[in-house]
Amino acid sequence: MNHWAIEAEQLIKKFPQRATPEAAAPSDDAEVAQPTAPSRRRLFGRKQEPAAWFTAVDGVDLHIEQGEVFGLLGPNGAGKSTTIRMLCTLLEPTSGTAHVNGFDTVKQSTQVRQSLGTVLAGERSIYWKLTARENLAYFAALFHIPPKAAQPRIAELLERMELTSRADDLVEKYSTGMKQRVAIARALLAQPPILLLDEPTLGLDPQAARRVRELVKELKAEGHTILLTTHYMEEADQLSDRIGIIDTGKVIALGTPAELKRRISQQDAIRLEVAGWHAEMAESLRQLPTVENVTPRYTGADSLWEVNLLAANSRAVLPGIIDRLNTNGTRVVNLNVVQPSLEDVFIHLTGKALRD
Amino acid sequence: MTTTTFISPVTRKHGLAAEWHALRAVVRREWTIFRRYPSWIIALFIWPIIFPMAYILSSQALAGPNSGGLLIFQHNAGTTDVVGYIVIGTIIWMWQNVVLWNVGFALREERMRGTLESNWLSPSWRFSLLLGNSAVQMVTMLIFIAVSLIEFSVLYGVRFNGDPILVTLLFLISIPSIYGLGFAFASIVIIAREANAFVFLVRGLVMIFCGITYPIAVLPGWMQGVALFLPQTYIIYGFRAAMLNAADFQTLLPVYGILLAFGAFWLAVGFALFHRMERRARRTGALEQY
Repeated sequence: MNHWAIEAEQLIKKFPQRATPEAAAPSDDAEVAQPTAPSRRRLFGRKQEPAAWFTAVDGVDLHIEQGEVFGLLGPNGAGKSTTIRMLCTLLEPTSGTAHVNGFDTVKQSTQVRQSLGTVLAGERSIYWKLTARENLAYFAALFHIPPKAAQPRIAELLERMELTSRADDLVEKYSTGMKQRVAIARALLAQPPILLLDEPTLGLDPQAARRVRELVKELKAEGHTILLTTHYMEEADQLSDRIGIIDTGKVIALGTPAELKRRISQQDAIRLEVAGWHAEMAESLRQLPTVENVTPRYTGADSLWEVNLLAANSRAVLPGIIDRLNTNGTRVVNLNVVQPSLEDVFIHLTGKALRD
Repeated sequence: MTTTTFISPVTRKHGLAAEWHALRAVVRREWTIFRRYPSWIIALFIWPIIFPMAYILSSQALAGPNSGGLLIFQHNAGTTDVVGYIVIGTIIWMWQNVVLWNVGFALREERMRGTLESNWLSPSWRFSLLLGNSAVQMVTMLIFIAVSLIEFSVLYGVRFNGDPILVTLLFLISIPSIYGLGFAFASIVIIAREANAFVFLVRGLVMIFCGITYPIAVLPGWMQGVALFLPQTYIIYGFRAAMLNAADFQTLLPVYGILLAFGAFWLAVGFALFHRMERRARRTGALEQY
C-alpha cells in the first residue's frame, strides 16, 4: 500500500485569462506566472477565445508522509492555495495527478473528500447566522455522520476548542479567533486522517494564533497528516517537519527547516533599522563584497525602514555598510547580526520577501 | 520525524440514507437562517397584498362608474371576478419571480458568504444544496400563497370555489417547471457575471406573455404562439380554471399533462446545467471569484 498521505506528480494548473488575472484566478493565486498561447473554450455552447492562459501551478511534485506536518510556504500569488484547492477536489488540475490517502483527486473525488478535513477561507467558511453547535451539526450531516455519533463528537470538539460556554450563541457574535476555531472543529468532525489548513492563523491576534498553533501540534501528536500553507515563516519553522517553498507556481526548495537553513549557513543575516532610507542605497550596499539579498521594508513609523541583508563575513563588511548608510541625513539606528532564518532562505532563493 | 498513530475516522452513513440525512440538514439549516432574518414577515404577509393592488385598482378605474367594462372583460376572460383573476395571475408571477431570485441566486449567495466551498468539500451530493434551498423555498411559497388567498378573501370577498385536492395537485405539478427553471438559473448565475439581466428578462416575459392580469386572447397572434411555450401560461390558466370556475379533473387533465412535460424538461435542463457548471467551476476556479 502507498505510504504517502498526499502525493502529487507534475501538478499543473492553468487558468484562462480574459481580463485581469485577479478576476480570473483564485484570490490568493492571482499572480501570473507565464501567459501562454491562447486556446478555445466553450461557454454555454458558444466558443470564446481567452486572451491567454496563465499558469498558477507549474509542475508541482509533493510527497507527504503519513503523520507529517508539511508547510507550504510562499508569498501571495505563489500557487499555494491553488495547489491546496486541487488536492481537496475544488479544482481539477490542467495536467498531472494527485492522490490523497491513496485516492485520485479527479476520479475518486468523493473518497478524497471523505479523507480530508479542510480549513479554507477560515471564518467565512461557516454560517454566521447559526450557532457553533448548529454549524457543527449541519456539517456533521454533510459528512454523513449519524446523529447519535455526531452529538458526542460535537460536544467533544466544542470542549476542545474552548467554545462550550458560547456554543449556542450565533457565530456572528464571535471574535475572529473563535470563528476560526469553529472552522477547525468543522474540519475535525469526521476525524479525517489528513488536514489541509490554508493560512489558519491569518488575521488572528497573537494569542488566538498561538492557540491555533498549539492545536496543530496536538493534531500532529494524534497522528494527523497536516498540509499547512502560511506566509508566516516562524510559524512554518515551528510547526513543520518539512517545508516546501513555492514561488510563481513552482516548488523551488524542499526540506526540513534545518536543511533549508543550512543552505545559507555560511552567511550572516544582518538586520538594520535605518532612518531616512533612500531607494538607491540598496544598490550601493549590494556593491559591497559578499553582500546579497538586500530587502528594505518600511516599518510605517517615524520614517524608519527595516533593512535585511546577507553577508558571508559580517565583521568585515559592517563598517562599509555603516559608512554607506550614514550619509546625507540617513542614520543607522539599530543593528543586529543573527543566524539566518527561513525568511532569509526564502529571500536567498526568490530574491523577495515573503510578505511582498 | 513523523508519527504512525492510527486515526480512526468517525463512523459514517452510506448511500441514499446518508444523502437523505444531508438533504434534511440543508433544509433545517436554510429554515433556521430564514427565520433569523426578520424581513420574512414583509415577504410573507405584506408583499402578497401590495403587488396585486396596483393592478386591481387600475382595473376598477377602467371598469367605469357602473363597472360596465366588466362585460367586455367577462367576454374575453370567462369570469367577472377581476380581483380573483388578477390575484391568481400575480401570485404565479410572484412565485416564479421569488424562485428566480432566491433559488436562482442561492449558490451565488453561498459563494459570496464564503460557505459554498465548505459545503462542496463534504462528500455529500453537491446538488443537495440547491434541493434543500428549494424545499424551504417551496414551504415559504405555500405559506405566501395561502396568505395571499386569505387576505384577498377577507379584503375583497373573492370566492375561491375550486376543489382543494385538484388545486393542491396543480400546485405540486407546477413545482418542477418553476423550480427547474430556478435550478437552471442557479447554475448560470454561478458563472455568468451579470445574472440580474436574465432574471429581469424572464420575469418580463412571464408578465407580458402569460397574461398575469389579462387573457392572452388579447395578445397579437405571434405573442399567443410564444405564450404556448411558457409553462407559466398553463399554470395561471389552470389555477384560474380550478379556483374561480371550479373546473373538474377532466377539464384540468390536459393542463396537468402539459405541465408534467414542461416540468420534466426544465428539471432535466436544470440538472444538466448544474453539472455542467460544477465541472466548469472545477476547471476555471469560478467558485471563488468573490
